[in-house]
Amino acid sequence: MNSRQSPPHRNTAVTGIGVVAPNGASTDVFWKSTVGGISVLDRVTREGCEQLPLRVAGEVRAFDPQELVEERYLVQTDRFTHFAMAAADLAMDDARLGRADYEDSPFRVGVVTAAGSGGGEFGQRELQQLWGRGSRFVGPYQSIAWFYAASTGQISIRAGLKGPCGVVASDEAGGLDAFAHAAGAIRRGTDAVLVGAAEAPLAPYSIVCQLGYEDLSTCDDPERAYRPFTADACGFVPAEGGAMLVVEEEASALARGAKVRAIVAGHAATFTGPSRWEESRQGLAQAISGALREADCAPEEIDVVFADALGVPAADRAEALALADALGEHGRRVPVTAPKTGIGRAYCGAPVLDTVAAVLTLEHGLIPPTPNVFDVCHDLDVVSGQARPVDASTALVLSRGLMGSNAALVLRRATPSSS
Amino acid sequence: MSTQLTIEELAALMKKGAGVTVDPQDMASRPDSRFDEWGLDSLGLLGIVGELENRHGVPLPADADRCKTPREFLDLVNNALKTGV
Repeated sequence: MNSRQSPPHRNTAVTGIGVVAPNGASTDVFWKSTVGGISVLDRVTREGCEQLPLRVAGEVRAFDPQELVEERYLVQTDRFTHFAMAAADLAMDDARLGRADYEDSPFRVGVVTAAGSGGGEFGQRELQQLWGRGSRFVGPYQSIAWFYAASTGQISIRAGLKGPCGVVASDEAGGLDAFAHAAGAIRRGTDAVLVGAAEAPLAPYSIVCQLGYEDLSTCDDPERAYRPFTADACGFVPAEGGAMLVVEEEASALARGAKVRAIVAGHAATFTGPSRWEESRQGLAQAISGALREADCAPEEIDVVFADALGVPAADRAEALALADALGEHGRRVPVTAPKTGIGRAYCGAPVLDTVAAVLTLEHGLIPPTPNVFDVCHDLDVVSGQARPVDASTALVLSRGLMGSNAALVLRRATPSSS
Repeated sequence: MSTQLTIEELAALMKKGAGVTVDPQDMASRPDSRFDEWGLDSLGLLGIVGELENRHGVPLPADADRCKTPREFLDLVNNALKTGV
């Protein structure tokens, strides 16, 4: 990211990716399904949820926590932390960052996650104990399993990481803010940060909490439930899962022989208030402009946009107008995609999965399509149907939260010399 | 139910409450090794204290969850169960 002080300039490079998503519990499967435009949205089947008014969601089904997470963490932590731990392992494997690399300097590696709701399933179980049997039957791990910071803490403990750790609780857009937080740590001297988000909001208590959101789609047809930018938009479909990435100071990554997959070039965030979608136009435009400024990037340099794509008509309109406001004429020409229509919105995990898809788009030269979205009714070039080949070197990822946060992240393709 | 806590029962409680698997024979042979060496943290021990109190219907001494080793814990718990404190 941009830095005001004089050299050495410390770039934040993506060197590892770990995905646990509804369409795949590995980066390869996630990408194949994403680029193939396959939707995995389906009826909600998680235990105790079948009778609730939320009919369609993106469930993570190809994930066996017992295979990927040690027994003590299965007992002591919530599903959202199981996802984050498994994704963190995958990311570190992908980055070839092992204990031996930092054993002598554990303070040089940190962890940052974003979280929207914490461990709802674990919390529900213990609350049922409280009201069903009494306070003496609530297990002590409730104190650490339910809350937002659990995944950051457990990942750092499990991997022996003692560098700067943090948790971003700033709504869904926090998934992008986490990258800014990580880049800040790197700028200040940290070598590497595990960064990302994973959520597990598909449990009875958690779903009931979401039923109050007027923006939630309760449509029961998986092909029609989440269709942003169309006249049939009827809200968003929630999902579980997310991703963790390894970001490193570029020069030190290269020095240890890591492959640089992309550069985190710019970020900005704004706040415009809960469900005030019309006002999110200005907030999102400001975030885009701020991220471009930090990345020293002209609007015309953006080759692809990963849209927030809420699926609420007023929010979709605001996003289309924000792109026009911030990118000018280029906002109407630049390819826009929202692969999340095929997997749902995993709250803070959603923009992180979009960031992963953006990195893979830069690497593969293919923009994944937006499943179930045709007949776009806004002045946008939405990629639908099938993946579109593109020689992209810069991607823009957008995110908004239901509570009013807006954020934008600019990613640059790794330069040939750095990969 | 026996009014004495055995090392086998302690191992079973560690597994159920904290997901920590230990071999009871191994623990019996090294009862002075600290709980953290067996992988049990303070919350895990607190949960075991709560479970035992619920089972036996008696409160254990306030410092039960501050025991550092299996021997220390077994001695304290069994003494409390014997005397009914």
